[in-house]
Amino acid sequence: MSESASEADPEAAETADDLRSYVESPIIMATVRVVSPFVFTYGLYLMFHGANSSGGGFQGGVVVATVMLMLGIAFGIDPLREWVGESTLVLVVVAGVFAFLAIGVVTTLPPFGGGFLDYSALGFPGASKYGIEAVELFIGVVVASTITGLFFAIDAGKEGGDNE
Amino acid sequence: MNVELPLIAFVLASALATAVLRDVLGAIIAFATYSLGIAVVWVVLQAPDVALTEAAVGAGVTTVLFLLTIAKTVRPSGDRVLERPHWPALAVAVLFVGVLATTLGALPEIGAADTTVITSEVTEYYLANAYEEAGVKNAVTAVLAAYRGFDTLGEVVVVYSAGVGLLVVLGKEVFA
Repeated sequence: MSESASEADPEAAETADDLRSYVESPIIMATVRVVSPFVFTYGLYLMFHGANSSGGGFQGGVVVATVMLMLGIAFGIDPLREWVGESTLVLVVVAGVFAFLAIGVVTTLPPFGGGFLDYSALGFPGASKYGIEAVELFIGVVVASTITGLFFAIDAGKEGGDNE
Repeated sequence: MNVELPLIAFVLASALATAVLRDVLGAIIAFATYSLGIAVVWVVLQAPDVALTEAAVGAGVTTVLFLLTIAKTVRPSGDRVLERPHWPALAVAVLFVGVLATTLGALPEIGAADTTVITSEVTEYYLANAYEEAGVKNAVTAVLAAYRGFDTLGEVVVVYSAGVGLLVVLGKEVFA
């Protein structure tokens, strides 16, 4: 928000401040503390059990990401961002994409000789099922960390600060 | 039994509210309820995987991201609750809906067994072989992660690109 806008319309600026400022609420904090482990578990369940029921990596990843969103809303986004670390999320996103690629490439290597992402070429019993679950997990990792990253980045705004 | 009509009314009403509400906060909340309604529509259409995605992404995450974004803006001044309609845009929208509505009669009934999607060779192959070949009990997952795994890799890269795109727009190198 530009300075002139807030001067021209002080009331509007105040409303925006109300929306932005973090409210420390014991009710929200307690609720998030109780609920988040269950939501996290449900997210992992969606990722792994997506092979046998509704769900999958994308849905599970989003649900896992909501845990981070809840933590951010309850305990403040800045402390959460510091706790996660500056570049961790970028590393996790890139690692997830490369892990997916690696699974695809491994099945084409000489000892297995299958097609790209041809899990059953790996040869052990249930290879296809475990391959699918591994891929779902990495999809979930990419989705969850990207959404958390969007959350942090949108909150922080532009470099040099459009907040102040 | 007939859950469709109230559901459609709910979805249409929340979509309309999203479009005409002048207060962005109200529009975002209306949009979340719209997504929730669409998620239930997917359940009615027997697509639980899509319903899960719509509920988690549409009603959940995007709402939070939108709220974060408007927290950086100011509220419109004045007392009017509704936006004044933009007539040319309204005309285009009505025309578009009218064109789409002409195709409604061609849609099959929900769960009809004789649609081309179900009788197609590809679908029959998946349904006959997915459980054995992929070793999973959800045919949707089998298609997504095994038969069309390469497409899914593309989708993951799309998600990755969304993150990179935002960083480029914001002029940053990390999510901070």
